[in-house]
Amino acid sequence: MSNDGKIDDQMPPAEPQAASDTARMRKDSPLHNPWGWVKLRFGLGPILEHFIFHRVPKRVPWYFSAGEALLLLFFVLLGTGIFLALGYAPTPEDSHRSVESITLEQKLGWYIRGLHYWSAGLMVVLIVYHMLRQVLVGGYQPPKEGTWLVGVLLFCLTIITSVIGYTLRWDERALYGLTVALTMLNYIPVIGDELVRIVLGGEAFNDLTLRRLYALHVLFIPLFLCGAIFYHIYLVVLHGVTTYEERKRDDIDTAHEQIKLHERLTESEKTGQDFFPYQAVKVTTFGLGAFLTALLLTIFLGPPELYPPANFTEDSIPQEEWWLYWYSALIAYLPPSIAPAFYVLMPLCVVSLLILLPFLDEKGNRGARRRPLAVASVVAVIVSLVWLTGIRISSPWMSWPRGELAALPKGTQLTAGTSKGHVLFTQFGCINCHPLGERGSGVGPNLAGYKFRLSPSELENYVHSPPDGVAMPPYPGRRTPQELKSTVEFVLVTQTFTRKY
Amino acid sequence: MCPLKRRSFLSLSVNAVGAAITGAVLVPACIYAIHPALRKDESPLWNAIGSLDEYRLNVMHERIVELPAGWNPRQKLVFVWRPTDSEVVVFSRACTDLGCPINWDESSQCFYCPCHGGIFSKEGERMAGPPNRPLWRYATRTLDGALEIDLRSVPPMA
Repeated sequence: MSNDGKIDDQMPPAEPQAASDTARMRKDSPLHNPWGWVKLRFGLGPILEHFIFHRVPKRVPWYFSAGEALLLLFFVLLGTGIFLALGYAPTPEDSHRSVESITLEQKLGWYIRGLHYWSAGLMVVLIVYHMLRQVLVGGYQPPKEGTWLVGVLLFCLTIITSVIGYTLRWDERALYGLTVALTMLNYIPVIGDELVRIVLGGEAFNDLTLRRLYALHVLFIPLFLCGAIFYHIYLVVLHGVTTYEERKRDDIDTAHEQIKLHERLTESEKTGQDFFPYQAVKVTTFGLGAFLTALLLTIFLGPPELYPPANFTEDSIPQEEWWLYWYSALIAYLPPSIAPAFYVLMPLCVVSLLILLPFLDEKGNRGARRRPLAVASVVAVIVSLVWLTGIRISSPWMSWPRGELAALPKGTQLTAGTSKGHVLFTQFGCINCHPLGERGSGVGPNLAGYKFRLSPSELENYVHSPPDGVAMPPYPGRRTPQELKSTVEFVLVTQTFTRKY
Repeated sequence: MCPLKRRSFLSLSVNAVGAAITGAVLVPACIYAIHPALRKDESPLWNAIGSLDEYRLNVMHERIVELPAGWNPRQKLVFVWRPTDSEVVVFSRACTDLGCPINWDESSQCFYCPCHGGIFSKEGERMAGPPNRPLWRYATRTLDGALEIDLRSVPPMA
């Protein structure tokens, strides 16, 4: 019995003529060589040889193992998802209550739900990392175009199923999350309405909507994902990862050249090794890191908060998942003229670009050092994602009715008259858009800032009837001249304190 | 005599049977799945939202509408505004950018969207943010003083 992957014990050696039938039979029994018997009878030999003990090149660093970490997270999601299904009710009346019960009442339900949630989020992050790394080293170049294209399919399915997972909580944010996704779909010309009705399962949100999403999330997409994931892995094992030698040399252009190099590398004792256990150690390290991250997030942050049950009547501030924050920031700054086209073209362009990438960039040069455009693009993408996410966290575009009094800039002294203006500033909704000093929404100009200094009469006229094209409501008839005067006096007082400039 | 002919006949048969079975399962299944898109009822779906007298002149009213059987959630909020005695405007609560629920602010007399900074005037015109069009208005009619809106007169998710 050996573990080196060679099928050396499947065929019994030729027996001498003298050997009796009993001796021959004994050698073939499960008791004589249990492992050999199992291996042959269950056909494990070829599987072990090709997927566990197959030869891989040396010098493949640990951070190449995001794919295996993704596989691990997928298994965690399958496992936790199957058990979540024990408690989840896919009907609009009961679903919210069932998620609440899983989280608060059933033993360790919070743990299963938290692990499911955080593994899904990490999977989205890792899949982006996994793809960007392939861009850096031309991981889609011959003969790996098919591997990449199956990967693009996996990426799309992962994003779609993650978004649907968010809606299954059926709390008010889930409902509006779905509304936003459907509104984006609705911008598609000609068939927009039809696509929305297919998702809804009717002409509006109805009894079938949640059931359809549930079926997609737990049956359709996971089944497709399972098939596509194993096909992807088969292709990776067949063609290998982008090796160090491939990246160092610039004469590897065609599929044939890559395959020849890969064969030479893996077969040689000096440059190749068995996947198990040498490469498997690195894979396990990355996988363990990913799992521990999900585990720690689950233990310290827990499963996501559940908002009031889905309804279209109460006030709600919808929010996307954290891994979509960047997109929200991008949307907030879209000029109205291009917003409708953007919602359709942006996803279309991203997916088209991913599909076309292997055909646009098929010529050699697989080392990041010789791929300045790829490096610049990847850096630009990462910087944009982080930067936009940061903007989303402070959301300076938000104007919202606030009942509270405006926070005053440090050093502002109010008199009895201007205190009245302070109250009016809130009462007339000025505070909704205009910051004073550092705090507040950034939609209107900062009135305490030096860039906005007008004389009292100019300011009164401006508030009374704002110029055309300014996003400020006119106030004629809604404020007495005295009220207007107090408000303006108050604004001017906030500009009087001493400051650096 | 000619083995290739037999070979291609057999492979054609196998492929044809496979395709036929796949089609017999998948085509009806797909029609079943997408039938909500195929069945399009354009006739108005009138839904009562109280009597006209309930709505005072020039005040923005929040009104909870009971939706028809099968719709879920069973209620939704709309904004009803009577600019003059003879006119009535019913706004959908969906922001025309991405469908988030707008909020009426009495102090500034504006609608605010909680998502990406959309602001609409009392007339439903866009004032700020990414929205590209005015608020959705339901088709309305009054029958003997009872106000009704056509639920099919705004997009399916609005």
